[in-house]
Amino acid sequence: MDDNASHRVRSAIEFARAALVEPGDWLSGAQRRAAWMECRDARTNELDEARKAAISPAAVDGAHTATDELSAEAVEVVHRVSSDPGRLTRAWAAEMMAVLGDAKYTELVGIAATAAAVDAFDHAIGAGESPIPASVDGAPAEERPTDVGDVGAWVPQTLEAQNANVSRTLSLVPVSNRAWRGLVDGLYSRGMEFGNLTWDRALNRPQVELVAARTTAELECFY
Amino acid sequence: MLLSVSGEKYGYEVDLDVAMDSSLDGDAGVPHGVELLAFATAANQRSADLAATREALRAAVGDEGVLEAAATVAAFNGLVRVADGTGIQLDPSMLSSTADTREALGIEEFGGAANSAGAATAARRSSDNEVLALFD
Repeated sequence: MDDNASHRVRSAIEFARAALVEPGDWLSGAQRRAAWMECRDARTNELDEARKAAISPAAVDGAHTATDELSAEAVEVVHRVSSDPGRLTRAWAAEMMAVLGDAKYTELVGIAATAAAVDAFDHAIGAGESPIPASVDGAPAEERPTDVGDVGAWVPQTLEAQNANVSRTLSLVPVSNRAWRGLVDGLYSRGMEFGNLTWDRALNRPQVELVAARTTAELECFY
Repeated sequence: MLLSVSGEKYGYEVDLDVAMDSSLDGDAGVPHGVELLAFATAANQRSADLAATREALRAAVGDEGVLEAAATVAAFNGLVRVADGTGIQLDPSMLSSTADTREALGIEEFGGAANSAGAATAARRSSDNEVLALFD
């Protein structure tokens, strides 16, 4: 082993877990924590299950309702992104953003993604579901980057054409983006080593990419 | 796909059909591929055989190997959601270079394919290392 994989991975998970309950870009720590709880609920939620089983999620009657911390639209976003990401549409996202705004929508997508990752890790290693920590007080950053615009995605992203689209998904929400990028780096991309196609660790690069390929296929991700 | 290009570096004959399709048997041309694929499928489906597949994988690649596999499952559970949730398009270079593979594997049938129809995303900067440029 040329790095301490256990330390790298577990540090990334712990940092992401903490960020999920801290003040974010436009949401408080309590709101982000509530969104994480909804992400977990989406795994067994009856409406989500019915939508997932239907030929189209729009064919199922019913709607998610607001909670003490989150609007109905915010709950809808985290449930849909958590439970059936492969069948989201631009029209649906536009409908959600018309109420939430593009930045809150993007932050909620980031919460759903981060929660999916940390919870999937715990499940995969057999650790069981970890308790969701208490939220951290404080105000969200409320800073919108000036270098964002239309690059063909549903949400504004950085206009700097320096990264692949997947690496700038959350660039509209810098606080969330930093936490997300750190998590991906620790779990998978490994900074500058990402360009090296011959990792020789406990798993070599093709072995890692094999797991990645099966995971994206299971989740029907086009990208 | 990074599976194919990294597999070439090791001299593997990677079978993408087996890699992508859980109804097919085999190791996809990658050492311990049977165990890796079974673990990835069970982890993503949250199926009852996850513990058994984890132990089979552990016997093949050790504790650190299981950790790396779990970390990869976790990373891609997040990556697919930020990609699909923000509606990103496939980058132009990837859109053209993977067209035949996507068609052959049925990836064009995935819902997210609509986001890249007529994709007009500006190309990212040229790089000496196109793989590294994905996340640097």
